[in-house]
Amino acid sequence: MTLHIALVKIEEEKISSEKAKKYIASEKNGAESIFVGKVRNENDGKKVTAVTYDAHDQAVIKSFQSICNVAKDKFDKNAKIFLEHAKGYVPVGKISILIAVSSGHRDEAFKICRYILEEIKHKSPIWKQEHYADGKEEWLPGHSLRPKEEVK
Amino acid sequence: MEIQLKLYGSSKILSDKDALKIELPSNSNIEKLRGILYKIISEKHPKSNLENLSETAAFFSEKNEVVNDNYKLKDKESISIIPPIGGG
Repeated sequence: MTLHIALVKIEEEKISSEKAKKYIASEKNGAESIFVGKVRNENDGKKVTAVTYDAHDQAVIKSFQSICNVAKDKFDKNAKIFLEHAKGYVPVGKISILIAVSSGHRDEAFKICRYILEEIKHKSPIWKQEHYADGKEEWLPGHSLRPKEEVK
Repeated sequence: MEIQLKLYGSSKILSDKDALKIELPSNSNIEKLRGILYKIISEKHPKSNLENLSETAAFFSEKNEVVNDNYKLKDKESISIIPPIGGG
């Protein structure tokens, strides 16, 4: 197996860097790149306490598979990829996304990691609702998946 | 006819439940659904910051694929509304 993807219900499980490192370890691959995204305590001048991630589960998994397979085809067919994204209420400082890649060489490992992250932001149906210190909350704006030719 | 609109992201403001039942004339398409959605938002949720949702959202069929405005809806069909996304 060279690909692990999951949407992790954060109230039930946690995203683990150790698990990711074990998964991507391979004697064939001399480079490892790991990206860890965490919830930060400030956005746009507002004090953030947590983010709730909502997701269309089936479509997210389908998009993760497609994105990772394209990444392997583009950069390194022998790469091992571990990708997990949180779903649910994630407090400040906790992991929202983890992408770990091992590859033959450093350039491919960096590129695959970056490619997956950027593609997820534009293709995977995941939404963020920020929770603020003053008790308010807000769904953040994002990238529309509506077919471009239909937008007036 | 009636469809079930599954709610995600900001569209969850439209109901306490996971889905919204929407009445539509027979042979309606996604474009018609957008119009009805606009009406629901402007009449029932005028201060919700969702005024552009009917224009910016995409819709998924039961096969989890984006459908275009000409897509003909079927009675009892389940459609997902996909507001602009932003994970990571």
